[in-house]
Amino acid sequence: MNLLKSYFLPRLSQWLITILVGVTVTFILPRLLPTDPVERTLSTLSSLQTMDPRAVESLKEALEDLYGLGGSPFEQYINYWKRLIRGDLGPSMSAFPTPVIEIIGAGLPWTVGLLISTIFISWILGIILGTLAGYLPKNLWCQIMDKIFISIYPIPYYILALILVMSFCYHFQVFPLVGGASGKPEISWSYLSSILWHSFLPATSLIVGSTAFRFIMAKALTSTIIASDYVHYAETAGLSRWRIVLFYVIRNTLLPQATDLGLSIGAIFSGTVITEVVFSYPGIGYSLYMGLLQADFNLILGITVFSIVGIATAALLVDLSYPLLDPRVRYK
Amino acid sequence: MAIIAEAKHLKAYYITQSYGIERTVKAVDDISLEIKEKEILGIAGESGCGKSTLLKALLGTIDPPLKIVDGTMQYEFEESYNVLSMSKDEIKQIRWTKVSYIPQGSMHVLNPVRKIRDTFHDFIATHQNLNKSETTQLSQDYLQKLGLSGQVMNAYPHQLSGGMRQRATIALATILSPKLVFADEPTTALDVLVQRGVVQLLKEIQQREGSTLVLVSHDMGVHANLADRIAILYAGKLVEEADTRSIFKNPLHPYTQYLIESLPRLDDKTERSSIPGRPPALDNPPEGCRFHPRCPHAMDICTKEVPPLVDMGGGHKTACFLVSEEKT
Repeated sequence: MNLLKSYFLPRLSQWLITILVGVTVTFILPRLLPTDPVERTLSTLSSLQTMDPRAVESLKEALEDLYGLGGSPFEQYINYWKRLIRGDLGPSMSAFPTPVIEIIGAGLPWTVGLLISTIFISWILGIILGTLAGYLPKNLWCQIMDKIFISIYPIPYYILALILVMSFCYHFQVFPLVGGASGKPEISWSYLSSILWHSFLPATSLIVGSTAFRFIMAKALTSTIIASDYVHYAETAGLSRWRIVLFYVIRNTLLPQATDLGLSIGAIFSGTVITEVVFSYPGIGYSLYMGLLQADFNLILGITVFSIVGIATAALLVDLSYPLLDPRVRYK
Repeated sequence: MAIIAEAKHLKAYYITQSYGIERTVKAVDDISLEIKEKEILGIAGESGCGKSTLLKALLGTIDPPLKIVDGTMQYEFEESYNVLSMSKDEIKQIRWTKVSYIPQGSMHVLNPVRKIRDTFHDFIATHQNLNKSETTQLSQDYLQKLGLSGQVMNAYPHQLSGGMRQRATIALATILSPKLVFADEPTTALDVLVQRGVVQLLKEIQQREGSTLVLVSHDMGVHANLADRIAILYAGKLVEEADTRSIFKNPLHPYTQYLIESLPRLDDKTERSSIPGRPPALDNPPEGCRFHPRCPHAMDICTKEVPPLVDMGGGHKTACFLVSEEKT
């Protein structure tokens, strides 16, 4: 009970405040913009056809209501929250009148599936390989690996992605260029394997880049840990190599690594714009890019709200996990 | 008494190279030492005189930039081991079960994210085929025998006081009843009361197990309490070696005389004088006897030749021309 009060509650309130502030900013920002979405929509409509002024007037009211722009700013703010809690993020402006939540809902499974799997794979690979390279700096294989990752790391991600697309979709047409799957959505081997097939290149591009980053991070963390007295002492006592790597080195580097993992997972709700655009993958990163091109700020803000909640929740979970990872972190 | 370990003409240098400039620190320079079975041998000397390096050589934990340039080091158990060229298997075989090590500064030698119980398990299971509950039982019993509460087992290192942590480390190093224990400054950074407890604990273990203890410390008080024999190091050289009583009552080397002089005495309230000058840098030690720039009795020969370690009778050895010249 005391633990709940002194450890859990302050962090939970911090989480709430972060979301409150973030969402308030998403409410204020578009209202400071010089463009008026209602006028914009009206002008788009009236450029296509001549309209009766009275019809225009009533349409304007309907649009203001739809975009939550009716009433005083305070009423608007209250209504904004009410709608958010209902899960109503307003209509998309580019694909009017499809609700934003539907667009996000369609893209989310693709993005989450792609990112969760690549984050975990690259996290585990990076830590294991990086720790080995840091622990055995004289080993030939570790040195080769080190050189490879150090050369991959500075390559800008979009170049890496473009090289993959050019090589394996265009010159050697091994992988498909567009989409997340082929065939009818159903639980069957052919459909599931087509998901894997379509995601192979985007996943590879993500794994290569972030494994290189985590490899370098794990190697740097390891180099400080292996200079510590407890590793030397364990070596003096003749402890086996795997026991030292697992329980003495990796275990002690886990705190920053878990933070990195948590925040990476939290960031998946904003998608990976470059990956999804380059590989034409139907996730929310792609939707976000389309939204940006068409000034669809309901969609942009909807994705932003998701990502605010996602990152704040990830930070909360990471924070709550610290005492499990390092007994020296106090519950205070 | 039988000899359990013997170092012959050990030379351990730190050789570093940066930007093409080679720097050699002669931390242990031509030291020969016999360690007798069931004795407590104290190795004394001020900071930076090569105590810890000598211990590394005796233990066989040589990592670059430290390099053994010359000399041999042997353990004599049922069979003899050439310490400086042991294979990984041999190391695993003899460490902890025959030769063990109590490190300097137990603050950081215990893995901070592992419970003491798990650390004990790691160390025991490496050498004996026991499962977790067996190692826990074994260590719990051993800790109780040493007068430590079994509660220690469930704690993390940071939850223990400095003294408790040092005792737990001593227990960890001696749990498999090694015949030969090396202790590097086991009482440093502890307050006097805890020091006393640790010294008693070391002595108790040594007596009960009949093991040999090699104790490295700069603290002559600890040596007076514990050691049977003391070896005095100065600037990487062994300058005097004798039984504890002779060292304190009849020190022959001027450096040892200074050391003993500087100790406080109950009946004497006059100020203690310190040794003039500073210890030499080991990458460029003085020619001849390394103590001659600070020695009040320095002679011509001291600046030119290195005094050999000469037995003055009864195992009292010293490396000083003052004494050896008199004798010849």
